[in-house]
This record gives sequence, structure tokens and C-alpha cells, in this order.
Amino acid sequence: MSVASHLREPLVTGGNPKLADITDAVVAPMENKPTKLWWLAFIPAATLFVLGFSTMGYQISEGIGTWGLNKTVGWGWDITNFVWWVGIGHAGTAISAILFLFRQRWRTAINRSAEAMTILAVICAAIFPIIHMGRPWFGWWWFAPLPNMRGPLWVNFRSPLLWDFFAISTYFSISCVFWYFGLIPDLATFRDRTNHKIKKLIYGIMSFGWNGSNRDWSHYEIVYGILAGLAAPLVLSVHTIVSMDFATSVIPGWHTTIFPPYFVAGALFSGFAMVMTLLIIARKTQKLEHIITINHIDNMAKVVLATGMLVGLAYSTEFLIGWYSGSNYEGFIFFSSRMKGPYAWAYWIMITCNVISPQIFWVRKFRRNMVLVFVMSIFVNIGMWFERFVIIVTSLNRDYLPSSWSMYSPTWVEVLEYGGTIGFFFTFYLLFVRFLPTIAIAEVKSVAAYAQREEHAAAGSTGAAAGVLSPAPAAPKEEASHV
Amino acid sequence: MSSAVATHDTSDAVSKTRELFVGIFTEEHQLMSVAKDATDSGHPVHDCYTPYPVHGLDDALGWKRSWIPYASFCFGMFGLSLAFGLQVHSQFVDFVPLWKGWPIIIGGKPFLPWPAFIPVFFELTVLCTGHLTVLTYFIYRRLFPGAKVKVHIDGVTDDRFAIALDPESEGFDEEQARALFAKHGCSEILTVEGRA
Repeated sequence: MSVASHLREPLVTGGNPKLADITDAVVAPMENKPTKLWWLAFIPAATLFVLGFSTMGYQISEGIGTWGLNKTVGWGWDITNFVWWVGIGHAGTAISAILFLFRQRWRTAINRSAEAMTILAVICAAIFPIIHMGRPWFGWWWFAPLPNMRGPLWVNFRSPLLWDFFAISTYFSISCVFWYFGLIPDLATFRDRTNHKIKKLIYGIMSFGWNGSNRDWSHYEIVYGILAGLAAPLVLSVHTIVSMDFATSVIPGWHTTIFPPYFVAGALFSGFAMVMTLLIIARKTQKLEHIITINHIDNMAKVVLATGMLVGLAYSTEFLIGWYSGSNYEGFIFFSSRMKGPYAWAYWIMITCNVISPQIFWVRKFRRNMVLVFVMSIFVNIGMWFERFVIIVTSLNRDYLPSSWSMYSPTWVEVLEYGGTIGFFFTFYLLFVRFLPTIAIAEVKSVAAYAQREEHAAAGSTGAAAGVLSPAPAAPKEEASHV
Repeated sequence: MSSAVATHDTSDAVSKTRELFVGIFTEEHQLMSVAKDATDSGHPVHDCYTPYPVHGLDDALGWKRSWIPYASFCFGMFGLSLAFGLQVHSQFVDFVPLWKGWPIIIGGKPFLPWPAFIPVFFELTVLCTGHLTVLTYFIYRRLFPGAKVKVHIDGVTDDRFAIALDPESEGFDEEQARALFAKHGCSEILTVEGRA
């Protein structure tokens, strides 16, 4: 029998696998002992995690003076890392929500791990604003009224920094709910197949008593749709608001109208790059190449190409406005400070990694070359980190008064803290891969079944006639089971 | 099979366990056709059990669309009002008695700059709608951490599809039900006990 569509390649390859085969493939890493490769990745990641977080403890006890910031450059690696991580945290919910609303069925193979990535990335992001406060135990005054002699002194709701607090916390909690809501049916799948007593108990608690009832599914799908509908504009709002932290200021290089769409495009760009980095490794090591197919990587490379060019357009628009506005300060930042100034090397790394090198994805052969795509995804991650560094540091280090001009370089504390978040990210991603289904089993099954359904419809058998056409079993087996 | 004889008091069905007459199928389209056929011919369908959401099954069973979106809308309105109240109260007025507000001039901006309030309007609307919708679903469907599985049928979370008839309801006829299941390619018939 031919495949359902001749125009598109099947979403799940490997000769139309049976539903049970999909379950087997996805839960295999949860049932087997971790491989040597897993330990090889886990040990360095966990070490980095512990080291970085100990450094944060040192920084909190000693103070912000342990960082390389000065009066002129008041934001350095801290906010660079924050924006970088938030950007990475965008792809997960974009894949889950926006692609869901556009009925992009290929999302099913990658949405689960992308969502896990989102949650971890947002945690990493949130660490930096918290530790950059210096005294994080006063952090709750971001919300509560400050006690003082005169009365409740509330936070300023006209400030984008406060909007950011609301945006990030909403995004984080909604992403967690969205992710876990999707996990429940798959946790039940694992609960029902494992024979391990402790695992059965734990996954039993975690799966909320799910039993595949259509009464549950019927409302579940609606709720999932609502969550997707909420999360889609939420994704766009988060980086829009992050960009307003800069755009509403009066600093040349930050005071830019194009920032919101520019930041959103950049966030999707870096987010998809990080998803590719992780999935290219995961599909290989977990033997999931028939579920996360080469077409998935191809599609993501196209998204990276498109968003990369949007980012390139934003860069050039900034230059246009720097010239067209006639503002000397704007012009100076873009044409002198960034292109030729002391941090020009960072600027050119950014241009090379974000605008020039992704152009190779115009070629289909390159999009389907896993080694090349992997290397490119790392390039994009580096380029996007430098983008934030360039925006923050090159705008600050050349002040309005040349007497205030200053240079900034990070101390070992900042470097280790950044490393610590990377360690945290990979440590928990690796644990996720070990203990939770990395692929949305139920959703992939519905996609795999989609092809069969079309095939079935094409055969002209619908409704009640289906039973007549399908091979009739000799006689139903009889059995009674009591649970 | 004799186990399908009605013995329970159906008026108290929620709290009691009861037996269900279950047909197992291996293909989605078989379940679709049996669900439609059973509904049309008046068999008392209790529920279906599937490894993934089968689209069109609700229509086949004649079920109505979920009411949850209406609740979501209310939650959204609640979130929006909360955001409005919070911002207007904290920046402008004090409508909570004995808790004096302290409007502050910042950068010469007005006290009620509504465009500046939009981001928080949006975020709190989304926050309340998302969380309360999911909570409503869990409470309504009695799903919570550690909840017992109400009806357990082997394989329906993996690769099998099941339809459950309620033998205690009016219109149930075991012989006809068997014939119906067989007609649509049933692979196995079970009697499953569960808290319906």
C-alpha cells in the first residue's frame, strides 16, 4: 500500500512502525541502565553545575564587587547571560504552541524535549537578575510594597523592568504547566508497562490516574488548545518585554524602536539552534532517528535560516536609522563604536555567526548533513551570545561624556557563574532524558496513525463498513479480568 | 459469560465499583466505526479508551463539545480585573480602607498611564487563565497526584483501543453487543471492574 501523501515524506519513518514500537523506542532509555556516553556527559556537566553555583554563593556573600563591572558599564555578563538564556527558552514553547496552532504535525517529535529545554533555560535566565541584585533576599520587593514610615511604597508599574518580572514568571509557570500537562498520558503509558515496583509507584503518582478514557481526552484536547492559544502570544510577549528593558531607555544603541520584533526573531533563532544542538545528539545516542527524522532537522534549519535573516535585517535597520535619524550619538554608536571600536571583534563574531554563516542553509544538502548542522547550531549559539554582549557593553562603554569612557572585562566569578548555568542546563537535561519520556508518545502515535487513517480513507472504507472490509477475526477471545 | 449480570444499584454508581463490558480493538478505524454503530443502535456506551486522542470520536459517540472554554473566559476576565485593580490601586488610588496608597510622580508621567499597564494586563490574564483552566480540568475529571486509575484496561495506554458498554444501563443486550463487537473486528472481549 502506498503512503498517504505523495507530496510530503512521512513524519515517522522506518516503514510505518506499529504503535507499540513507538512506545518501545521512546521509553527504552528509561528502562535501561545509563550508557557510558551518558555518564561521560553527565559528570562534567554536574561538576560545572556545582562549581558555578558555589561561585554564586561566594559572590552573594562577598558582593557584586567580585564582578568586573564599573560605574560606566553597569551591566555585563550578568544581563548578557540573562537575555541569552531567555532567548534559548523561546523555542520550546514556540514549537509547542505556535506550531500546534498552525497544525504543523512535525512538531510532535521534538516538542517535549524543546519544552524541557525551555523550562531549564528560563531557570538559568532567572538566576542572573536575582544574583545581580546583590542582596537577593530583598528580591521579593519586586512585587510587595516596600515597608517604610509613610505608607505602602509600591513598585513602579510604569517600568519595563517590572513588566519583565511579570512576563518571566508567567512564562515560566505556564511553560511548566504546558509541559507537564502534555506529559501525563505518557507517564501513564510508562506506569502501565513497567514491572519495577518503585517506578510503578512513582510514575503512578505522577500520572494523575490517567487511563486513556475518552471522557478525559475529550476535554484534554480542548484544554491543551487553550494553553497553546495562551502560550503563543505569551512567547512573543516575553522577549518583547525583555527588549523594552533596553528600548525604553535613553542610551544610544538601546533606544531603538525595532527592538521588540528584532529580539523575538533573535530569540527564535537561538532557541531553534539550541534545540538542534540537543536533538542531533539525542536522536543519535537514543536511536530515535526514525522519530526525530532528518526532515525535522531540515525544517528547523529552515527556521534558523529565516529567523537569521530577520536578525540580519534588524542589524541593518539599526544602521539605517543611525544614519537617517541624523543623531550624532546614534551614528557614533553604530558606525564608530560597534564596527571599529574596542569591542569590534565581538561585533564581527556576531555578524559572522548570525548573518553570514547560516546562509549555507539555502542548500538542501547542507541542511541534511548532521555534522554541519550541529556545528552551525553551535555557531549560532555563540553568535547570539555575542549579540547580547555587543548590545549591552558597546552601548555602555562609550558614554555621553568621553571622560566616563571605560572598558569592561569579566572576572573569574562571572565566567564560572555562566559556566555554572550551562552545567545546570545540561545536568538536568540529561536527567530528563533518563527519567521522562523525551518524545510526546501519544502525539507521535496520533501522527503515525494519521497516515494510516488517510490510507484507510483512500481505500474507500468509512464508518460502519470498515469492519466489513477489515480482515474479520475468527471469533473474539473471551476472558474476564478484574482490577 | 455470566459476569455481566446487573447486580448493582445504579443510582449510587458514582461511589461503587461496577462491571463494564469491554471490547478491545487493534485499529483506530475499528473503534470509530464500532463507537458510531453502538451509539446509533442504542447500546449504552460508557466510555472509550485510546492511547492517543482520536479525532472525531466525540462526534461518533454524540458527545457535546467541552464546556471548559467558557470557564477559561471567566478566568481570563478575573485575571484582567486583578491586574487592573492591582495597578490602579498601587499607582493611583487607595480603595482598600485603612491601607493608604501613596501615588508617586515618576519622571513627570501621569498616575494612570494606561498604555504602560498593558503588559501586566496581558501577563496576569494569561497567568490566571492558564493555571485555573488546568486546575478546573483536573478537578472536574478527578485527576490529581496519586489518583487511583478508575478503569484499568491493559494496553490502552500503549496500542489498543477499547469501548466500554455499561451492562447496568437500559438497552444493554449482551448477545447483541457481542455481535456488534465481532462485526467491527473485535480482538477480545473483557469484563472489567472499575469505579465508573
